Amino acid sequence: MDPHRVRAVAKRIVLGFRRDHRSLGLLFAAPILVLSLVGAVWGGATERVPIVVLATDRFSGPPAVIDRFLAADAIQGRRATFDEGTRQLRDGEADALVWLDSPSATLHIVIEGSDPLASGTIGGAIQRAFTNGLAALGQLSGPKVVIEQLYGGSDYSLLDYLAPVLIAFFAFFFIFLLSAVSFLRERTTGTLERLMATPLRRGELVLGYLAGFSFFALLQAIVILLFTVFVLQVHYRGSLATIFIVEGVLVVGAVSLGLLVSAAARNELQAVQFVPIVLLPQVFLSGLLIPVDQLPDYLRPVAAMLPLTYANEALRAVMIRGYELADPLVLRDIGILLAFGLVMAAGAVASIRREVA
Amino acid sequence: MTTDFAVDAQGLRKKFGAIEALRGLDLRIRPGEIYGLLGPNGSGKTTFIRCVAGLLRPEAGTLTVLGGAPRAAVSAGRVGYMTQAPALYGELSVYENLRFFAALQSVPHRDDRIEEALRTVDLLDRRHSVVNTLSGGMRTRVSLAATLLHRPSLLLLDEPTVGVDPLLRQEFWSHFRKLASSGITMLVSSHVMDEASRCDRLGLIRGGVVLAEGSASELVSRAGTRDLESAFLALAEAR
Repeated sequence: MDPHRVRAVAKRIVLGFRRDHRSLGLLFAAPILVLSLVGAVWGGATERVPIVVLATDRFSGPPAVIDRFLAADAIQGRRATFDEGTRQLRDGEADALVWLDSPSATLHIVIEGSDPLASGTIGGAIQRAFTNGLAALGQLSGPKVVIEQLYGGSDYSLLDYLAPVLIAFFAFFFIFLLSAVSFLRERTTGTLERLMATPLRRGELVLGYLAGFSFFALLQAIVILLFTVFVLQVHYRGSLATIFIVEGVLVVGAVSLGLLVSAAARNELQAVQFVPIVLLPQVFLSGLLIPVDQLPDYLRPVAAMLPLTYANEALRAVMIRGYELADPLVLRDIGILLAFGLVMAAGAVASIRREVA
Repeated sequence: MTTDFAVDAQGLRKKFGAIEALRGLDLRIRPGEIYGLLGPNGSGKTTFIRCVAGLLRPEAGTLTVLGGAPRAAVSAGRVGYMTQAPALYGELSVYENLRFFAALQSVPHRDDRIEEALRTVDLLDRRHSVVNTLSGGMRTRVSLAATLLHRPSLLLLDEPTVGVDPLLRQEFWSHFRKLASSGITMLVSSHVMDEASRCDRLGLIRGGVVLAEGSASELVSRAGTRDLESAFLALAEAR
């Protein structure tokens, strides 16, 4: 082994990067960005106090117990009728509904249940609030507790909770990366120059890319769904068509963002370096790892700007809670994703300059 | 904007940062002729061709292509542009590439036209080969075939014979001559002097301006030299 030759190779690599300021910048900026996000998300995440609705028309315990329960620090208590409480639970306005059946001395807790990790915490907080209230009144023996879940159940696992967001994440990640690199190849191999010297319009080119990649994204969604449902035994409730619609509008944004990024990169190496910049904030802030409402206050507006936040919310609503396409939440999320996609697509069209040099 | 010329450029200027690629270029190409743009690397040949193809917008001067703005001629499918590198989709077959470019140009009877174009470049037997498996010369031929599919009125060929062996180069030029005789105007750039004599007229370009224009024999006699290469050098020095 000749150390001079090894040195020559090493020097060539260092010199090659010397003029690639973008790669050098990303080499240092990307880890700082990720570390900042990790610090902000896990350093500042708040343990959310569950919102618990007490069904007054079904609570036959002494009023002092009700007051103590609602004033407990472990929960945010509210009074409502059983029907109103059920509605709030279904619409995501409350985390649990509670009532006490005195004759049988049974405390009924219905937890929203779509997040298995949160469900355990919520159940514990309610029981703590109730037994603390009883203890303060001198009663030591608590009632029998029956816990039910509106969505999910004891056979639901963390995978059931994560599957919808993983479908969205994989679609976004791969389609973004593929479209960025494919379009960059159009630029670097000269085919874009050739295309621009034909009657093809820039909007037609972007639409063609959207259609082509949407096809693969939907195929991918089918494969992931089949695998998660039949192999991993993930529970799944909603309509397949609604899942595909959410996926479709998400992909419009992913492809367009890929095209935009390809305009900013000069080679495939640089395009790949945009992956952590574009994707990691979405991993940390879109509700994939930590629910958005538990993020520090200053990060929530950032989460509100990320497409995966809405895709995750919509897909969880459809797959775990069985929401229909016509549900206002699903429609709102699809509308936001579509708006994001259209803005990105307009940006992508503008980024394709007919001028080649 | 009407003109008797297929391409009419007057006082074209184009800058890339501090570098002025075209510095008041004047050039006129008559319909149906093969016009050779001859000059060294970096003389402005490709920049001018890209202006004609509607890919670059000159900062000053006027440019008329087939009687209108360059982009209008391109959008109407009247211009065919063969880039210097054979810009093709390597993972697609020859046929798939041609089918794609034919679709972009809304070519009627696509399969017939593809067969005709492949016959012209003598690649009919490789129609199902994946482009990445072809030699450099074959890719150049596919690239030319893609340019011919929509039967353009004006063909822009940027150094079309680079990397092509002498035998094939001979065939290319006989194709070019046939195309010109069918009424197609051709602008061919080259830095190879022996190819220039095959053109009807030549423009010697250097530093973004046309030094001299005329047929090969006219240029040689004007410079008082024995060959075109010497004529080019003499004319360049005279400027």
